Amino acid sequence: MDIILTNYFETGAVILFGVGFATLMLHRNLIKKIIGMNIMDTAIFLFFIAKGYIKGKDAPIIINSFNGVDTYINPIPSALMLTGIVVAVTTTAFALALTIKLYNHYQTVDLEVILRMRGENND
Amino acid sequence: MINYIPIINILILILFSFVMMLIRKNNIVKFISLASNIFIFLLSILLVKKVLIEEVITLSIGNPSNLLGIEFYVGKSEALVALVFTFVMVMILWYSKFNLEKEVEENRLSFFYILINILLASLLGVIYTNDLFNSYVFIEVSTLSACGIIILKDKKENIKATVKYLIMSTIGSGLVLMAIAYIYSITGHLNISNIHEIIINNYQFHRNAVLIILGLFTVGLGIKSAVFPLHSWLPDAHSSAPTPASAALSALVIKVYVFMLMKVLFRMFSYEIVNSFIIMDIILLLGSMGMIFGSIMAIMQKELKRMVAYSSVAQMGYIVFGIGLGTVSGTAIAIYHIIGHAVTKSSLFLISGLFIKKTGSKKIEDLKGIGREMPFTLALFTLGAFSMVGIPILPGFISKWYLSLSCIEVGRVPLILIILASSLLNLLYYFPIVINGYFGNENLQGKIYKSKKIPFVRLLPIFLLVLSMIVIGGMSYNLIGLFSI
Amino acid sequence: MNKDIILKEVGKIIIPLVQLFGIYVIINGHLSPGGGFSGGTVLGTSLIIMHLIYGEDFVKNIYSRKKLLIGISSSLIFYTIIKGYSFLSYELELPHPPLGKLGSILSAGFILPLNIAVGIVVACVFYIIFSIFIKDEV
Repeated sequence: MDIILTNYFETGAVILFGVGFATLMLHRNLIKKIIGMNIMDTAIFLFFIAKGYIKGKDAPIIINSFNGVDTYINPIPSALMLTGIVVAVTTTAFALALTIKLYNHYQTVDLEVILRMRGENND
Repeated sequence: MINYIPIINILILILFSFVMMLIRKNNIVKFISLASNIFIFLLSILLVKKVLIEEVITLSIGNPSNLLGIEFYVGKSEALVALVFTFVMVMILWYSKFNLEKEVEENRLSFFYILINILLASLLGVIYTNDLFNSYVFIEVSTLSACGIIILKDKKENIKATVKYLIMSTIGSGLVLMAIAYIYSITGHLNISNIHEIIINNYQFHRNAVLIILGLFTVGLGIKSAVFPLHSWLPDAHSSAPTPASAALSALVIKVYVFMLMKVLFRMFSYEIVNSFIIMDIILLLGSMGMIFGSIMAIMQKELKRMVAYSSVAQMGYIVFGIGLGTVSGTAIAIYHIIGHAVTKSSLFLISGLFIKKTGSKKIEDLKGIGREMPFTLALFTLGAFSMVGIPILPGFISKWYLSLSCIEVGRVPLILIILASSLLNLLYYFPIVINGYFGNENLQGKIYKSKKIPFVRLLPIFLLVLSMIVIGGMSYNLIGLFSI
Repeated sequence: MNKDIILKEVGKIIIPLVQLFGIYVIINGHLSPGGGFSGGTVLGTSLIIMHLIYGEDFVKNIYSRKKLLIGISSSLIFYTIIKGYSFLSYELELPHPPLGKLGSILSAGFILPLNIAVGIVVACVFYIIFSIFIKDEV
């Protein structure tokens, strides 16, 4: 139990991942599914960035002079996650554009109604 | 200079795709795309020649040490797989020069060529790279461009298929990123060779974490590769895309992710570590179920392209089965099946495109009697079907034969029954098309076909693909000895 | 018509300041958080605000679709060529100071031109996606 409480960053990230996944699966509205996808991605970024935290050290920004490598936290996870955030934004933009196209064709954003209408007019 | 060919390939493809964004006339766009891909293919031949002499080429990008820079690791299997991929892409682009205007509108035609270049660049990147996070970036680029080429045709079923594909791929990428975070937190490196040196000494202390990492990688990369229970996006996406796009998707895109899985399982963790966990049995089980259920679902389809797409699910089951055996020979068979299936499935999809264009309908029962009008095309389809079923000399038979030998070597002989059963099921859905095509004559009276006889020049890319399939089948003994991860 | 006059007058002051802030974030990317992506986002946001306040035709006269596409393609080609050069010969003659001093940005090698290229690309793409969504012609 105390393992869960000492690594509270990772625990929070996993709970957030679960929340996002449940939102993705259980709601019928497409916009809510996209929101769930975003929450899942944010949880993974939190998980990765928290791996770089060292207690008691500063953020890796050089103010006046370089104080040696021991006074900063690990900057590699933060730099890698910049790429991840850009990818998540791009995927969200693409998914929203597809939702608008679906709305123009079917006049609804409800996924079950759309899938049920597949058998009727198949073009 | 030849050492740098991997990175030169990727940069040339990306550079020419950005140049194509500026050009408006479609003829120049097609010419630039075909020229750049042929150039890449010739450079890949040079790379294969060099790698066959030396064993392995590693080149570092950005910084000489692999702690700070990115490393590309090109062994024999990577060079040969990249050669076959560039060859298949040249043939697909040659086919699409004549046939793409029927399916995609005029003002969107240049987007297809831009996206195909970026797609091929990212696939080559995943094959060559030796760095975990670099492979994640290339995986994301390939997912987005693959979604892009499906959506070019503007029908309702395309949009639904793309939404499904996009959401399931994002879940897969998220799981892969979480696995990369775990392994970074245990070892502190991101380079596959460095992680290997650390993990083989330390894995006993982190058994739970290693099990989670293996599970996350398998499920994440499995969603994107259409492994059995997670394959539901594949039939919609591959059957509704325009024909050259679905050939590229089914032959090239889904293979790269299992190749990455092989690199993770066998180069990052070694064979001994992976065989001591239960994950290999699960992978074997999923592969077997994929082989059987993919074929069963394919029998029940009524449209031609959906049937070929379900056949892709079954063939991916073979590759995953080969990985699940957990021996060096199983992995070599899996890589051989990647190459063999790439040429076979692309030729089948391109021929399906020709059939659909000729008869004007997508259903299988409208193909009866088509052998009278297009005998040579149906002959090529028959050769592809023979390879899928398992007639000797062709690559399908070689894969099944060597997989059976590997099963005996591991000691699980009853698995051979599953391979035999799936061969019989393949027979049940490919042969009706061939037999009805040549001998069925219900639909011939009064039928108006939509286009004239196809000149032989347009069949030439498909003919070259089938010829290379026979060559790959014939040279199989030499090829399988070369593959190792 | 008269209801928009507060927005237009305030916009005349605020939008140049937003763009200046975006350029600051791009140029200071190698020393403080920011760089190409975030600075490009801020510049793109300034274009979106201009579209919302002044209407579509005003922005189309200054930044037409064709100019934006040429901007994107040439920045991307520039980025590819420079990155390719730096990948293919890492032992070249780039000056590589261990730190960048706050005043001498030109001695940091290729970081500044790459940041500017990425910033231009991100800003143009943001505005193009917004204009496509709002006209409902996806």
